[in-house]
Amino acid sequence: MAKKVIMPKQGLQMTEGTIMQWLVAEGGTVEKGQPLFEMETDKLTITMDAEASGTLLKIVRPVGDTVPITELIAVIGEPGEDISALLGDAAPAAAAPAESAPAAPAEAPAAAPVAERAPGERIFISPRARMIAEEKGIDYSKIVGTGNDGSIIERDILAYEASQPAVTPLAANVAKANGIDLAGIAGSGANGKITTADLPVSAPAAAEAPAAPAAAETPAQMGRGTRTERMSGMRRAISNNMLASKNTNAQTNHRMSVDMTAAIALRSQYKALGIKVSYNDIIVRACAKALQDMPIINASVDGNNIVYHDYVNVGTAVSVPGGLIVPVIRDADIIGLSGIAAKSTELIEKARDGKLTDSDYHGGTFTVSSLGMFDLDDFVAIINPPESAILAVGKIAKTPVVVTNEDGEDEIAIKSMCNLCLSYDHRIIDGAEAAKFLQKLKNYLQNPVLLI
Amino acid sequence: MSEMLFTAAIARTIAEEMRRDPSVFVMGEDVGVIGGIYGASKGLLEEFGRERIRQTPISEAGFVGAGLGAACTGMRPIVELMYMDFTFVAMDQILNQVAKTRYVFGGKAKIPLVIRGQQGVGGGNAATHSQSVESLFLNIPGLKIAVPSTAADAVGLLRTAIRDDNPVLFFEHKKLYKGGKWEVPDDPEYMIPFGKADIKRQGTDVTVVATQFYVGEALKAAEELAKEGISVEVVDPRTLYPLDIDTICESVKKTGHLVTVHEACAVGGWGSEIESQVMDRVFRYMDAAPIRVGAKQCPLPFNPNLEKAVVPQIPDIVAACKRVLSK
Repeated sequence: MAKKVIMPKQGLQMTEGTIMQWLVAEGGTVEKGQPLFEMETDKLTITMDAEASGTLLKIVRPVGDTVPITELIAVIGEPGEDISALLGDAAPAAAAPAESAPAAPAEAPAAAPVAERAPGERIFISPRARMIAEEKGIDYSKIVGTGNDGSIIERDILAYEASQPAVTPLAANVAKANGIDLAGIAGSGANGKITTADLPVSAPAAAEAPAAPAAAETPAQMGRGTRTERMSGMRRAISNNMLASKNTNAQTNHRMSVDMTAAIALRSQYKALGIKVSYNDIIVRACAKALQDMPIINASVDGNNIVYHDYVNVGTAVSVPGGLIVPVIRDADIIGLSGIAAKSTELIEKARDGKLTDSDYHGGTFTVSSLGMFDLDDFVAIINPPESAILAVGKIAKTPVVVTNEDGEDEIAIKSMCNLCLSYDHRIIDGAEAAKFLQKLKNYLQNPVLLI
Repeated sequence: MSEMLFTAAIARTIAEEMRRDPSVFVMGEDVGVIGGIYGASKGLLEEFGRERIRQTPISEAGFVGAGLGAACTGMRPIVELMYMDFTFVAMDQILNQVAKTRYVFGGKAKIPLVIRGQQGVGGGNAATHSQSVESLFLNIPGLKIAVPSTAADAVGLLRTAIRDDNPVLFFEHKKLYKGGKWEVPDDPEYMIPFGKADIKRQGTDVTVVATQFYVGEALKAAEELAKEGISVEVVDPRTLYPLDIDTICESVKKTGHLVTVHEACAVGGWGSEIESQVMDRVFRYMDAAPIRVGAKQCPLPFNPNLEKAVVPQIPDIVAACKRVLSK
């Protein structure tokens, strides 16, 4: 009995994936559990295993195709089997539109019903619907609820989303910046998405179609030209995220130099016991304690609200081929130093192997980024939204510092110093609060007995 | 795999364990010549004799207590109660002695005791012989509770129960006894660990947690709902204590909707406990308040039609799933 292979949903937000490579040729045999294809989402590149054994009878969607989740991409079965019934499902998508109407603008979708709510009126919404709305950045205040008690539920958010015109992130930003209402604009992009070319403004359109044409006109220098490469999903996500951060947050930073001598001694003690604890783990632990002391650093901005989190989830930036990802250590305030060490080892391994799942990199409330291993003295990091602060950690270096000895005389001693730089969102965090946070962090790192 | 009645699968598992371990023995009313009034110890007397198949008078407090004593001294008793309603006759033994002995003696005494029997409606056995009482024992620390929904699960769980050094209450269901022949694995080492739920049907729209007879009813309800395009995931926890809350929560994270179904009264039943634990853990994934389906707060009637009116029926499960989905 032939089995369908469909575009799998990897994580709550995934709506489509791009096939990067088929690892088995059409007609080849596959074993259940054997790697079958590679795909890319806006979050990650991942190898998917076959869910059935047999012969790969048909590859329906070739490399490079971007396919909505659950759509048929291949068929596995026995040689000679009739799979026309299975393929029938995919036929309309493959056959109909291709030739007839190239880039015919899609119809703008019908407007969704709008809820009439008095200002300040309480909105009833299920926890799941709220979570999904927040993840998708949807303002639910105008959405009509169809739950039993009139609450907004998941399907209302999804229906609202479906009723909104599909739009590229850049076009959305341009439209927002220029105050353009997207309703009524027909999209000419892939799947009818509105691109900047569809907007009644001209300037940013050049940004959407970058260097390529210009490069062609530039005479080659000694046979050397330029090369244009499409951004990977991860690069696009990083790019959007970083730009969004710079555009919305009032970012500034404070710096402080911290004596890590005692923290080094603590790490050695763990090492002697055979427990692997990194400096980063110690810093994450210290941050978790300091975040507990100062909830505003652990908070996020949501419109005109400040959202405080009871939990402390600390992300650690990990560089991976083609970009970086920030796996999150959940409940960093309660799992203790050895718990943090174990979790971070696991997450870093998963990150490097490309095995992080959606839940591994969502829900952070604060990020630590360490680049000491590249010999940086210090640096400034960009806040990872919706978080409100990020700590940039430089290298630990033996440094001469002035200390006061037991006789009250100043002398120069050699200490292992580390420079910390806290980037914070000045909209909700005042300068004095950020300074206090660094002061507390310093106290924890210089007196690591407080971390135990 | 062999095909056999639920009760035959129980009797065969007991026999296999008795052959393997001479400390395993059976005690209860009518477990000898008759082979248990439902036949769950049929053939055991012939093979093992009166020394190991011990027939008792109508004296539940006495022989449950005797089972506890035997367990303390190194035996592995299987005590059959003719109806699990009769646990109440032996309640002091179960609640104050069986559940607590290992604890109050600082772990020095092991209690490898299985108390098993059937419960539930379906026999026209009226108010005192038809109850589903498993929820009551969930409130007593020190007891493990198994609630199999198929003969294969019963075999795997019963073997685990017999080999467990802690007391296990093992609830079988009358209607499963009458459910015809079941596929049963023949491996005499086939075991199912406690605290490991089984997803009996995969689905994406609503999670239905059910046990015992109601797993089958939930599957039938799921079949009906599938016709209306509603995809139901049926999760069978198989043991209520320990409880595999992780599997249930993962399912609810996916579906966003939870319905619990049991024959015991909805009020104060284990469904409420599971719903509470799920909301503790994954509230933000929920799209609607969970719904309990259970018996009405009413003694079970003798009249079979009235009995049906009290305990949940398939349309009740279907309706609950639709209501939780706001459909």
